[in-house]
Amino acid sequence: MILSFSSCKKEVKEEKTEPETDNLIVVGFSQLGAESDWRAANTESMKSVFTEKNGYRLIFDDAQQKQANQITSVRNFIQQEVDYIVIAPVTEKGWDTVLKEAKDANIPVIIVDRRVDVSDESLFTCWVGSDFELEGKKMAEWLYRFTAEHDIAPEDVHIANIQGTIGATAQIGRTNGLRWAVEEYGFDLLAEVPGEFTKARGYEAMESLLADYPDINVVYCENDNEAFGAIEACEAVGRIVGTDIQNGEIMILSFDGVKEEALTDVLEGKIACIGECNPLHGPRVESLIARLEADQSISKYTYVDEEIFSADESIESLLIDNTVYNVIRLTPEYVEERMELFNVGSYTNTNQSQDAY
Amino acid sequence: MKTGNIFQKIFRRQIMIPLAAFLLLAIFNLVADPSFYKITLGYNSAGNPVLSGYLITILDYGSELAILAIGMTLVTAASGGQDISVGAAIAISGSMLLRCLCGADTRSENLNMPIICAFLISMVVAGLFGAFNGVLVAYFKIQPMVATLILFTAGRSIAAWINNNELPIVNDQSFAIYGGFIPGIPIPMPFFIAVIVMIITWLILKFTNLGLYVQSVGINEKSSRLNGLNPELLKVLTFVLLGVCVSVAALIKTSRLMTINYSVIAKDIEMDAILAVALGGNALSGGKFNIPASILGAYVIQFLTTTLYKFNVSSDALSAYKAVVVILLVVFSSESVRGWIGGLFKKSVAVKAGKEAKS
Amino acid sequence: MKKKLMNMSDTNLLLTITIVVFVVMYLCAIIFEGKGFLKPQTFFNILNANAALIILSCGLSLVMITGSIDISVGGITALVSMCCAVYLDYHGGSVFGSVMIALGIGLAFGLFQGLLIAYLDIQPFIVTLAGMFFARGMTTIVHTNPFNVENEAFVALKETRIIVPGMGSYNKNGTYVNAYVEIGVIVALLVVAIMFVLLRKTRQGRAFYAVGGNGQSALMLGINVKRTKFIAHLICGILAGIGGYVYFLHVGSGAASHASGAEMNAIASSIIGGTMLTGGVGNIIGTLFGVLSLSTIQNIVSSAGLDQAWWTGITIAAMLCLFLVIQSVVMARKKKMTKK
Repeated sequence: MILSFSSCKKEVKEEKTEPETDNLIVVGFSQLGAESDWRAANTESMKSVFTEKNGYRLIFDDAQQKQANQITSVRNFIQQEVDYIVIAPVTEKGWDTVLKEAKDANIPVIIVDRRVDVSDESLFTCWVGSDFELEGKKMAEWLYRFTAEHDIAPEDVHIANIQGTIGATAQIGRTNGLRWAVEEYGFDLLAEVPGEFTKARGYEAMESLLADYPDINVVYCENDNEAFGAIEACEAVGRIVGTDIQNGEIMILSFDGVKEEALTDVLEGKIACIGECNPLHGPRVESLIARLEADQSISKYTYVDEEIFSADESIESLLIDNTVYNVIRLTPEYVEERMELFNVGSYTNTNQSQDAY
Repeated sequence: MKTGNIFQKIFRRQIMIPLAAFLLLAIFNLVADPSFYKITLGYNSAGNPVLSGYLITILDYGSELAILAIGMTLVTAASGGQDISVGAAIAISGSMLLRCLCGADTRSENLNMPIICAFLISMVVAGLFGAFNGVLVAYFKIQPMVATLILFTAGRSIAAWINNNELPIVNDQSFAIYGGFIPGIPIPMPFFIAVIVMIITWLILKFTNLGLYVQSVGINEKSSRLNGLNPELLKVLTFVLLGVCVSVAALIKTSRLMTINYSVIAKDIEMDAILAVALGGNALSGGKFNIPASILGAYVIQFLTTTLYKFNVSSDALSAYKAVVVILLVVFSSESVRGWIGGLFKKSVAVKAGKEAKS
Repeated sequence: MKKKLMNMSDTNLLLTITIVVFVVMYLCAIIFEGKGFLKPQTFFNILNANAALIILSCGLSLVMITGSIDISVGGITALVSMCCAVYLDYHGGSVFGSVMIALGIGLAFGLFQGLLIAYLDIQPFIVTLAGMFFARGMTTIVHTNPFNVENEAFVALKETRIIVPGMGSYNKNGTYVNAYVEIGVIVALLVVAIMFVLLRKTRQGRAFYAVGGNGQSALMLGINVKRTKFIAHLICGILAGIGGYVYFLHVGSGAASHASGAEMNAIASSIIGGTMLTGGVGNIIGTLFGVLSLSTIQNIVSSAGLDQAWWTGITIAAMLCLFLVIQSVVMARKKKMTKK
């Protein structure tokens, strides 16, 4: 790590002495922040793909959760005349003006992860990301099937929803997914509290939920970091997390499945079920850019196929809107395999910087 | 006339200010909802007995604040200003601690070195940053709040840089006790840590002249120099001591979560620490100080925070209520308002005395 | 008389250092980062994004010249944005009304803080720290979640662009793009001009310098020290209201996290611009260059693709440290000269 760190510094220096390397495709990427493990994996994926070795120069900008920063950096990209702009927007609204500027400058814009809400869809070239509402629906459907299997009436399922950053596409989608199920099956939704996708807020929220609602038995966390916080808050007051909710255990449901800890928690039964949210957008964006470079047609919206993980064997597949989704049963081998998939990115990155050294 | 004197004497006692605030809050909670005082004994996931309840929360979270308040009181007394970088310094110290514990691999299963070594290293680092602040204040004569502004701006960035912007996670459960519970003892560990720090501070003040020296530097720097003290060195020393307190608080904070979030950890804690010093009745312009009063002040602040949480005030809105408390405090402790109230009091006494004389 | 002359030379020395640093930095940016920084629009973008900061920094320079400080301006900015956003979108308010709200909030903070600091003699840092926390807390109480304003009249105002003639450039397609600034920039430059005149050409302006330089002698000169301090804080509060509105006009949304750290950036800009924390020395033109230097650094850091956001924090702090030490050295030199 130390080696790679020092070599990183070298790389920066070299860039400065020879600023213009021709025939590299310059990509400006405005990432909204670094709030969760999912986001970190997403950033890492982009960085590992857009390397000089692969023929790209990536200008990365971390907006620290502020749209104003993102707009400023996109304007910078336009002034620097980058070839492509990639935005992971922090909120959906307020993008019309700056996207218009990019369009006027003839720079294609690719939106990843969260969506943008603009009056004219031609302002951006395409969007890549997850179907968050489907993620939520799958999770809620799994909960329904699980409780039905264990003869628990829906009105005895007391759910608290620890929401993500309010207004984020993932939060809206996942909340809607749960609300759909509450309407459809009659679960008891006790409260919806914001958790901002962070562990600290998750802990805080869970602490007060436990104090306010003693009969709580299911916690629907909108990402893994919140789930980590919620689990700790439960354990701190001596509540046990698990699936046996008839006997006082608290069931934790979560999303993302990026960190090994989250998947191990599923194996250990601490988290009952995780809806996957795949962060590896780098290769997908890269293939879109390759198609654009070759003047090939692309589809406006690309959805990522995502799984749902559980260590419980009783439910094998879910049926939502006439489509069957298989539930992946987590095993230690599967976790290992999956982690390798995630580590590929960081390994290539290390090699890259060693070359530069 | 005599009763008035005793009254005044009691009110003059510095510790009365936090005590009065404490009683006020206690009574308020008793009236509003007595269940505030409920304490239950439960068992955590490891099967150890733990106490829980609002009072325990106050004891738990107030302790790290009390530790910071000790250091902040000394800095305030010596330099007549406050250190606003304690939150950022906790991020640095905590980051260093985790870096030492986890080594290069942020997800390593085993500890890279014994916790005590890692803690000592983080303490040295926090002490060095404290010395940096101290040197700017003492030798470059920059106002403390502005000098510490530098670390306030850069601290969290430095913390992120120490771990290469990754979030290390400690997997060894033996690290969890510092912010949690020792198996078998149902009272939270941070409280015992705070008690240890208090005892050490008490011993230092009892057996050295540090307290006296710090006070004299705060009251009059020039005359303390004429008396053979080195005011610059003493100021730096108080900042280093605050750094040591910071590293202890960082140990508790990181142990609670077993990881660190650079932008959130100990956010706004500088406000609470300064507030604790002010609530303790210490003059924010330096000079005389009273550490027990500051410690009590810290627990009162936590009492207030927990009370507000109980009434569902979100953690973001919390600061508005605290700000009102600060303003009321400083207004009532300001010279001119005191003089004015004192004047009113004297007038009424004089009027009474006059009436008595007439009758 | 001699003392005044010396003050002037300090002010000019620090101002020169600031301007030289800014020019060198911008040249470096052009050399190392290439074509982007050569375009005037890059410079105008810096202005657009930092118009609010310029106004806030002017207010801070003023209170710092009188030897005081105000760290509530960032909080006030957030509160102004949120109140105006809620007023415009949830109460069907008018743009004029929202401007009045902004001014009202700024005025209220200025009045209250000024009273406490000047007439009750409470430490300015504590008062404005409380002000900052109060404003931030109130912002979330007014409305918790961030949202974008959709009021048509306001959006039209936000989108208004003032074309700067002759400064445009050709883009990749070969079409000519006009250079522009936003309304906020005009407001900011107006504020700078007014503050410059106020500080340099009026009796009141000289009073600010005198109070900051030496309160005792100012008192002997027949200056009302308390009133002067009060006015400084009052103006700073109003400027925070105006700055808050300009910020709101730039981002077009209300959020509790808005302008976080703005107070620190404003103080840093003033210091880099040559305002002395000890009071009595400072220059509004320097402050303007202080803001520009600060934002150019940020711009360089992001264009260089130094990905980690922490680089910005560290560079700004290093620069702040450097300028503080320079000031300290200048002060020491001045003391020596007076002794001689």
